[in-house]
Amino acid sequence: MIQAFINKLLTPPKGSFGVAAEFNSVDSLMAAVLRSRAEGYTKLETYTPFPIHGMDEALGSKPSVLGYIVIAIGLCGTATAIALTWWVGTVAYPLVIGGKPLWAVEFTLPIIFELTILFSAFAAVFGMFHLNRLPQFYHAMFNYSQFTKISDDSFVLVIESADPKFNAERATKFLSSIGGSAVEEVAK
Amino acid sequence: MAHDHHLDIPIDSFRLPSATWTHVRNVLVATTVVGWGACLAGYLQDHDQFSRSYLVAFLATIFMALGGMLFVMIQHLTNSAWSVTVRRFMESLMMSLPVGAILFIPIALNVHSLYVWSLPGGVAHFSGGKASYLNERFFVIRAFIYFLIWTALSWRLWAISRKQDETKSASLCYSAAKVSAPGVFFLFITATLAAFDWNMSINPHWYSTIYGVYCITGGAWGFFACLILICMRLRANGILTHSITVEHYHDLGKWQFALTAFWAYIAFSQYMLIWYANMPEETIYYKVRMEGTWRLLTLALPLIHFIFPFFLLIARPAKRTLSILSFISVYVLIVHYLDVYWMIMPNYAKSGIQFHWMDLAALVAVVGTFGFFFWQRLKDAPIVPEGDPRLAKSLRFHNV
Repeated sequence: MIQAFINKLLTPPKGSFGVAAEFNSVDSLMAAVLRSRAEGYTKLETYTPFPIHGMDEALGSKPSVLGYIVIAIGLCGTATAIALTWWVGTVAYPLVIGGKPLWAVEFTLPIIFELTILFSAFAAVFGMFHLNRLPQFYHAMFNYSQFTKISDDSFVLVIESADPKFNAERATKFLSSIGGSAVEEVAK
Repeated sequence: MAHDHHLDIPIDSFRLPSATWTHVRNVLVATTVVGWGACLAGYLQDHDQFSRSYLVAFLATIFMALGGMLFVMIQHLTNSAWSVTVRRFMESLMMSLPVGAILFIPIALNVHSLYVWSLPGGVAHFSGGKASYLNERFFVIRAFIYFLIWTALSWRLWAISRKQDETKSASLCYSAAKVSAPGVFFLFITATLAAFDWNMSINPHWYSTIYGVYCITGGAWGFFACLILICMRLRANGILTHSITVEHYHDLGKWQFALTAFWAYIAFSQYMLIWYANMPEETIYYKVRMEGTWRLLTLALPLIHFIFPFFLLIARPAKRTLSILSFISVYVLIVHYLDVYWMIMPNYAKSGIQFHWMDLAALVAVVGTFGFFFWQRLKDAPIVPEGDPRLAKSLRFHNV
C-alpha cells in the first residue's frame, strides 16, 4: 500500500491541464477574457506579471471568503481570551490585587483585544495560504513553453480542461482566432 | 466594466453651477440668521444656558474642522492619489477654521458662565501650579495663538492647492507636504491644548493627558461623516457623479470605520487607566457621569459610538452601498454631538440630561456659520483640485 502511494506520488499526472495562449498587453488580455466568457467558457485563469484591476470581475471570480474566516477565528480569539482570563483569575489563581475584582472587563479587555488581533492575524495569513493552495511545489503551468515570460512581459490566458465546454481542439482554434499567440495544450 | 475605466472616463464639470451655488448659499444664510436670532433671544433669557449650549455646539464643530485639516495634511504626507477628487471639500472644510476665531468670541465673553476657575475665589479651587495657567487673560491669549496657527496652516495649504489649479505644477505637491509635516505636529499640540483649555478645564481638578487625542478623533470621525454627506448631496444633484464613485465612498467608509475603532481605543485607554488607579480626583469624571440620567448615556456610548457603527461598517458591501453609508453618516454626526454633549454638560447639569431648545439654536447658528464659509470657498474655485498630477489616477481609482 505504501509502495502504491509512493508510486502515485512519483508518477506524473496524465492528461491536459488546459489550453494556454499568450497576449501582449493588458487590454488585449482583457478583451480575450471577455470574448471567452461570451463564448461560454467558465473555467478561465490568467497569468500576468502584475495584478490587473478589474480582472477578477472580468473572470467572474467570486469575492474571497477570507474576511469571514478572519472574523470567525477572531471571535474565537475573543472567546479564548475571556475564558483564559476568567479561569486564571477566578479558578486557578484567585488573588485579590489592589482591591480589584477577580475578573473584570476593565483590566482584561487589553488581553481580549490582543488575542482577537492575534487570532485574526493568523487566520488572515494561514487562511490566505490555504485558499491559494500554498505552498505549492508543482504547477501544471510550468509545462507551458512561455511560462518564464509571465514574470516579465507576457499576459497568458488559460481555458482549463475542467471547463464543462472544454475541447482541446476547439479551444486552440478559438484562442488563435481571438489573437492569441503561442497557443498550446498544456499537460497536467 | 473593467475596460472602460482604462480607456475613456466621462469627465464631470469641476465647477458648481452658479444657480445651485446661490440657492445653497441663500439657504445657509437664512438658517444661520434664524439660528443667531434664536441664540440672541436665548442669551437675553438665560446667559448660562446659552453659554453652555453654545460651547457644546462650538466644540462639536471646531474639532470637525480640525479633523478636516488633519486629513488634508495626511493626504499630502502620504502622497494619496485616491483622495484627490474629494480633497477640495476637505480643504474647504479646513478653510472654515479661521472663522472659529470669531465664533470663539461668545465663549471668551462668557467665561464666568462656563469655567469655575474664572470666578472670584475660583483660583482657591486648585493648587498654585494651575493658577498661573488658568486665568482669563492667558486663556484668551492662548486661544488667539491656536487660531493664529490654524489660520496660517490652512491658508498656506489652500493657497498651494489653488496655485496648483492654475500652474498644474507637480512640485507644489512637495510644497504642500513640507507644510504638512510640521503642520501635523503643531496641529496636535495646539488641538490638545485647546481641548485642555476649552473642555477639560471646566472641571479644573480633573486631568487626562489623552483627552486632546480623544477630542480630535471624535472630530475627525464627524468630519468624515460630513464629507460623505456633502459628496452625496452633490451626487444627488448630478454633480461629480463620475469623479466621486463608489470606490471613493468605499475609502471614505474605511476611514470612518477606522476612526470608530480608534475612538474606542482612546476612550477605553482613558477609562481603564482611571479605573485601575482608582484615585478620587480622576474617577470624579466618570462619577458625575454615572449620576441620574447621565448614567444611561455613559453606558450607551460604547454601544452607539463603537459597537453598532463598527459591526455595521465592517463588511465590504456596507461601505460600498451608498444608502447605508449615508445613513451611518447622519448617525455619526448625531452621536458625535452626543459625545461632546456628554463631555461638557454633566459639569453643569449634575442631576441628569436636560436638553434645551438653545442646544439646537446654538448648533444651527454655529454649523450654519461654518457651512457658509465652507460654501463661500467653492464659489470661484474648482470643486476638484484639477491641477493635481494625481487627478487622473484618482479618477481611475479602483479598490482591489
